[in-house]
Amino acid sequence: MLRSFGWQDLEALARGALWTIALCATSGVIGTLLGMVLGLAATSPSRIARWLATAYVYFIRGIPLLIIVFFAYFGIPLIFPELSLPAFATAVIALTVFTAAYMAEIFRGSINAVPKGQWEAAEALGLGYFKKLRYVVLPQAMRIVVPPAIGFLIALIKDSSLVTVIGFVELTHAGTIISNLTANPILTYSVVAVFYLVICYGVARLGRWYEQRSSADRKTITTEETPAALELEGV
Amino acid sequence: MIIVKDLHKKYGAHEVLRGIDYRVEEQEVVCLIGPSGSGKSTFLRCLNGLETITSGEVSVNGHLVNDRKTDINTVRREVGMVFQHFNLFPHLRVIDNVMLAPTKVAGIGKEQARAKALELLDKVGLKDKTHAYPANLSGGQQQRVAIARALAMDPVVMLFDEPTSALDPEIVGEVLSVMQDLAREGMTMVVVTHEMGFAREVADRAVFMDGGVIVEQGDPAQVFGDPQHERTRNFLSKVL
Repeated sequence: MLRSFGWQDLEALARGALWTIALCATSGVIGTLLGMVLGLAATSPSRIARWLATAYVYFIRGIPLLIIVFFAYFGIPLIFPELSLPAFATAVIALTVFTAAYMAEIFRGSINAVPKGQWEAAEALGLGYFKKLRYVVLPQAMRIVVPPAIGFLIALIKDSSLVTVIGFVELTHAGTIISNLTANPILTYSVVAVFYLVICYGVARLGRWYEQRSSADRKTITTEETPAALELEGV
Repeated sequence: MIIVKDLHKKYGAHEVLRGIDYRVEEQEVVCLIGPSGSGKSTFLRCLNGLETITSGEVSVNGHLVNDRKTDINTVRREVGMVFQHFNLFPHLRVIDNVMLAPTKVAGIGKEQARAKALELLDKVGLKDKTHAYPANLSGGQQQRVAIARALAMDPVVMLFDEPTSALDPEIVGEVLSVMQDLAREGMTMVVVTHEMGFAREVADRAVFMDGGVIVEQGDPAQVFGDPQHERTRNFLSKVL
């Protein structure tokens, strides 16, 4: 029985949108952390670490996301027959593997973009490899990472609609179900599109806010406030 | 303090340093002069292991710099370096630039490191810029912070790699005067410079390098006033 598009459908789509957010937030966070480790490996002095990280990046980037999703869906049960993963976990694994490769490249590029003079100044002061990364290189690389990372996350939110093929009901899948129930694909997919738009806009604003905050850090503190700051320290 | 024996440095087939023997004694100020590409900066960078050497021996304050068994970071703690482009850490305030190595490398307490940093910033005339970020400082001020940052580790030797080459002419003097004070206090210094006036007045020895070798070295008055080699005369006639 066909019915017209109503509040209940809007609610179902909102639930789908929340799943999309949960999916992307989880795989985005884990993928970014893994990507950071891979990016550090790709810029490390160890040849084996560099080779492994680079191989991973080239391998994953060379495969369509849809294929990665299929591998996760069909492959994981083959390797671990006892494990019956919920669709959400399978989707998170696929998107995390995908995200890690792209984030690794973003981190690698950002770490390499920190000028050589900064590395040398840190080395000349006697900072070892990890201290040099932690106190000198990474704080500067993080500022460079943010714009491309936000760009990638926005793409990820839209690409996450691919996991609809393994039956996980996120925003796009919810849209397909409701479109079939109401026979009103134009209205349904318009609403779906608006949800994506709002989520992506939110992420973009978050990125802007972070960029402005970190550049404000440096600009608002001028030498004017120095005397007061010094007084506080009893100088 | 510094002993260099038969130092060679190659980049691929190109040999930048072609056998250098040199000694720097304690409290000595040595100025390295010479045309660009003569290998003076590379030589300086070999002294704290920023360049790996191809063959020969470099020893600083009793540490064999080129020995794999030497922890290069213990050498670097004792050797301060000042770069042409300052290389201050832009994300850290002036005070934190100076305090970073003492607190994170030498493991000195925050308060003690802060007191020392303030003392050094006072010494280089920048006590009022303690909480500024490097981007808000002039080139001369940044370079003086860089000197304070290097001094914060209480080095036994200071290396200067063209410390005034990136500065506007009217600012050069403020950096040179800080360096002159250091020399007067008895700091051992190796300075790559194009400031012939500084080399002549402050250095105990001037070393003229060309083509990856030391062509001539000695008392600055002698090297500048009565150079023995044709190449030295040639160079000096162009820069003086």
